[in-house]
Amino acid sequence: EDAAEESNVSAELIAHRKRLVDEWNAWRARCKEEVAEELGVGQEPSGRQEEERE
Amino acid sequence: MRPTDRTAGHERSLTQIKFNKEGDLIFTASKDSIVNVWFSHNGERLGTYEGHNGAVWTLDVDSQSHFLVTGSADNEMRLWSVQTGKCLFVWEFPTAVKRVAFSEDDAEIVCITEQRMGYQGAIRVFRLNRDGDGTQQNTEPQSMFHPVGSKATVCAFPYMSGLILTGHESGKVALFDAKSGDEVLSNERAHMDVVTDLQLSPDRSYFLTSSKDKTARLHDAKTLTVLKTFSTETPLNSAALAPNMPYVLLGGGQEAMNVTTTSLRQGKFETRFWHKIFEEEVGRVKGHFGPLNTIAAHPSGTGYASGGEDGFVRVHHYDDSYFRAKPYGDVEILN
Repeated sequence: EDAAEESNVSAELIAHRKRLVDEWNAWRARCKEEVAEELGVGQEPSGRQEEERE
Repeated sequence: MRPTDRTAGHERSLTQIKFNKEGDLIFTASKDSIVNVWFSHNGERLGTYEGHNGAVWTLDVDSQSHFLVTGSADNEMRLWSVQTGKCLFVWEFPTAVKRVAFSEDDAEIVCITEQRMGYQGAIRVFRLNRDGDGTQQNTEPQSMFHPVGSKATVCAFPYMSGLILTGHESGKVALFDAKSGDEVLSNERAHMDVVTDLQLSPDRSYFLTSSKDKTARLHDAKTLTVLKTFSTETPLNSAALAPNMPYVLLGGGQEAMNVTTTSLRQGKFETRFWHKIFEEEVGRVKGHFGPLNTIAAHPSGTGYASGGEDGFVRVHHYDDSYFRAKPYGDVEILN
């Protein structure tokens, strides 16, 4: 029973962490678009370089 | 972790450390008025930049490892040739220079001068003349402003053009219009005490701050929203983002006189590793005999350097286990 509870807790924790990672990655993706936009649409190649450098 | 290189070469506490873009060089500023440059792979000293007549509070190196800029308690900001060690230009101010930073394109320098004896704290932006040998610089800044309210302690150029990012004594972080000096946006409660360090992500879209309020925080550069908080039990002097790995590196500690009245743990003077996304501590590295004043991450993510109140610079090289470790499973985290 304890083991079942433990695995249940860790499943919750894993789900929580997955949510945090998904939120972060979604925010980073939005950010990268905004950075590319700020650098200028005409300068898209440099925007790409920017991402590669990371 | 491989034994670290401990370098002697400063007689007083370290104030700021920076790697160059390639990561082969480490620049260190100290209260002993000397600036040193070291090889990062073995901790050997390559040279010194001598000329300041007071504590050197701050430094930055451009992305081409061509120019070094330093700020000192002697009220001077100096421009140096990285390669020859020669001082190329000296800017003089009424008060000490507390923070300097290059723009991403190396064309501008932002600096903070201290508020003291009838002089307001000021933020100045200089356009750097990169033509010729670097000795022909304009003594006048292209803009200058005085932040009202709490004085600025740290500054940087975010990715948004025309704006200056600042951290303040009150714990505030703010964005200023570089030309008009208007405060465009602020987060008054970013921290509850002095902001001691501010380091940007590689694309300058988010940043990490450390504070005497014992926390480090990750903020969105555009909105100044706090994204993550890393809560420790000691005042923090510096915080660095680990490239390629989802960690932040935190350093600080109580002054020696306070150690006896606080927990023993605070006397260990460790670099703390926290998971950037989960806000959980993942490890510690001991090393210094006094508080850590400054931490810089190797730009390739192969190690880091820390500078202490003890006058030592420690260069740490990660071993394979650091790169293999996935304490939270196999998840892809965008940098």
